[in-house]
Amino acid sequence: MSEPAAGASAGRVREEVAAWLAAEWDPGTMRAGRPRTQFVAKVVEAGWAAPRWPRRWFGRDLSDDEGHVVEEEFRRLGAPGSGQDRHNLYAATVLTFGSDALKEKFVGPMLRGEVPMCLLYSEPGAGSDLAAVRTRAVRDGDEWVVDGQKVWTSSARTAEYGMLVCRTDWSVPKHRGITFFLFPMRQPGVEVRPLHQITGESEFNEVFLTGARVPDEHRLGELGGGWRVLQTALAYERSVMGDRARAGRADSGMAEVGDELVRLAAETGRLGDPVIRQDLARVAALRKVNEWNALRAKAEVEQGSSSSVMSLGKLAMSRILHESARVRTALAGPRSMVEGPEEPIGDESTFLALNAYFTSIGGGTDQIQRNIIAERILGLPKEYEVDRDVPFSEVRNSG
Amino acid sequence: MPAFAVPPEHADLRATVRRFLVECSPEAEVRRLMETGTGHDPAVWKRMAGELGLQGLIVPTQYGGAGAGRVELGIVLEEAGRALLCAPLFGTVALAATLLLESDDTEARARYLPGIAAGDTVATVAVSAADPARRPPGSGVAAAATAEGWRLTGEEPYVLDGAAADLLLVPARTPAGLSLFAVDGRLAQRHPLQTVDRTRRQARVTFADTPGELLGRDGTAGPVLARTLDLAAVALASEQAGAAAFALERTVAYAKERVQFGRPIGGFQAIKHMLADLLLESESAISAARWAAAAADEGAPDLPALASLVRAYCSDAFVRIAADSIQIHGGIGFTWDQAAHLYLRRARTSAQLLGDPAFHRERYLQRSGAVA
Repeated sequence: MSEPAAGASAGRVREEVAAWLAAEWDPGTMRAGRPRTQFVAKVVEAGWAAPRWPRRWFGRDLSDDEGHVVEEEFRRLGAPGSGQDRHNLYAATVLTFGSDALKEKFVGPMLRGEVPMCLLYSEPGAGSDLAAVRTRAVRDGDEWVVDGQKVWTSSARTAEYGMLVCRTDWSVPKHRGITFFLFPMRQPGVEVRPLHQITGESEFNEVFLTGARVPDEHRLGELGGGWRVLQTALAYERSVMGDRARAGRADSGMAEVGDELVRLAAETGRLGDPVIRQDLARVAALRKVNEWNALRAKAEVEQGSSSSVMSLGKLAMSRILHESARVRTALAGPRSMVEGPEEPIGDESTFLALNAYFTSIGGGTDQIQRNIIAERILGLPKEYEVDRDVPFSEVRNSG
Repeated sequence: MPAFAVPPEHADLRATVRRFLVECSPEAEVRRLMETGTGHDPAVWKRMAGELGLQGLIVPTQYGGAGAGRVELGIVLEEAGRALLCAPLFGTVALAATLLLESDDTEARARYLPGIAAGDTVATVAVSAADPARRPPGSGVAAAATAEGWRLTGEEPYVLDGAAADLLLVPARTPAGLSLFAVDGRLAQRHPLQTVDRTRRQARVTFADTPGELLGRDGTAGPVLARTLDLAAVALASEQAGAAAFALERTVAYAKERVQFGRPIGGFQAIKHMLADLLLESESAISAARWAAAAADEGAPDLPALASLVRAYCSDAFVRIAADSIQIHGGIGFTWDQAAHLYLRRARTSAQLLGDPAFHRERYLQRSGAVA
């Protein structure tokens, strides 16, 4: 018997998922709240949440192309819950690296969105150099005792579990002594303190771990194999961000590119200023080319070639934000010295100038980003690592 | 066709043109032609028409061309830019052929386009190729109707491919307004300029009671010329983007092979970070030029604004890449024998052509409707 052509099987999948959605999805009542939760549970049960995964673990053993067909049909109707085999970094990491018992316990609830999660990666001494984590886990029978400090953790206060990266072996080079845990947040050894950003907001937390405990059963991957687990988890995270970036559409009209900066220039009586006019056009161009780059990356990926344009997006965005804030500050002039509701123009200019660093530092600084672009896209020699083959206990650190 | 999709025929066109230019326009040949009087090789010009049909690419089939669009022209010009092709291609195709296609003078089309497509006619549009803000097209030349026909008088100081052109298409003022004239190149006084970019020639062209044939109706050239210059701006952006991309590629290659302090200089972050920034510029310029070319083919109503935005971006990007390329090359980049300066010369000159970046940014604002 011959295999059906890929096109034919994709067609069958499309029919099947469309029929299922026609029977189960009602956009009128299921967009939010309890009906939505119930619908997503049905999606998980039917295997549409992660169709590329094995049937044993909530999947349907579909190919990647067939998986995309499923996502397309869900997207077409605006139905939630699909595509989690690409996007749900928690469920995917547990599925890839957890024991069967751990998978039994967590994969289903994670797919159904029932487990609030957070990421315990960065530390005060491990930012760009994430492999330099110093949070320590020491074995105690069937459990590990964890001491250390994590930072830049969003949702730490509400999370039930965290993805924890910590050091279990100090006698080997840094990448080899790291272990990854699914860590229970609601216990006495965990203290969450809000972190105050330069903008005055608090979106993140510091998490202090003092004699906190995690069962060995919650270990993901091998002892000392945490760096590999982390790479997988980060890849899922990047895929989510990439999808978001690709979803950006270039608008057809040019009139709106002048946007809020032009309105502000009009409001502040600076539209006749030739220097400001050059700046307005310059920022418009930066925004436009970034949209075009995203569309081009999307087209290149759809045509099956890898795209180098995509990885430039974050660097481009940080330039756009800093440059827009600079122009905004020029327009605000002395008002940029004052903040608060009485001076919204000045307030906004300072907020945006400061918040631009969220993008140029967070998720990999511009400088790390340039290293990555230079090494992975341009093929330039890798950065020399002085700590590469040194036991971590002998590596120099800031503290 | 979704934006930026590359059908196989476009990939083939690019590969064919690149192969041809690797053979016919290597650096040694570019340097040889830089030293010649005319600045191009007539034999290669004939092969470009005969074997590849480049001069006739956008010329309709009824006039012996391929009937292709602005996207295809963009591909060819990206490649021509990479190779610093020394030939009057921009004047002949991006300016003259484009103007003839935009005009409604079917008789002139039938008379001139077949010669252009066949590689027999070198042509250009005698607009001052620089400073349109202070010197709008047609402001330098006046035409008068006499008993013997039209006579042109005046001067255009920077005419692209002006000395090589057999055919000059000349915007000139008449009592009825801006009009277009076809002038036999030999009848104008042409003073070749000592261009900084020896790979692309310009001439000062002077008319003194020079006979010309009216193209289209008297006084109606304004819109035709404006549209032609927008399309030419997009075409030039393609050439700039292609040249910029290659200037960067050769710089990256050099950074990998040049060893100092016991390792390739491309391993140092000071160099890496410059190159990463330049890659963003280069890829952005390519996206911008290709988007604008596709918009031109689709008849996008916002093309005038788009053309200016894209021209400004590509001009700045090419200048920055070519300039930093010299810096990254270090001492060898300061020598005449390294090709880095050839790209900087092309970049700095191209940035002036058909309006500099500041001119185009201002014009973008006016044309986008965002700011009156």
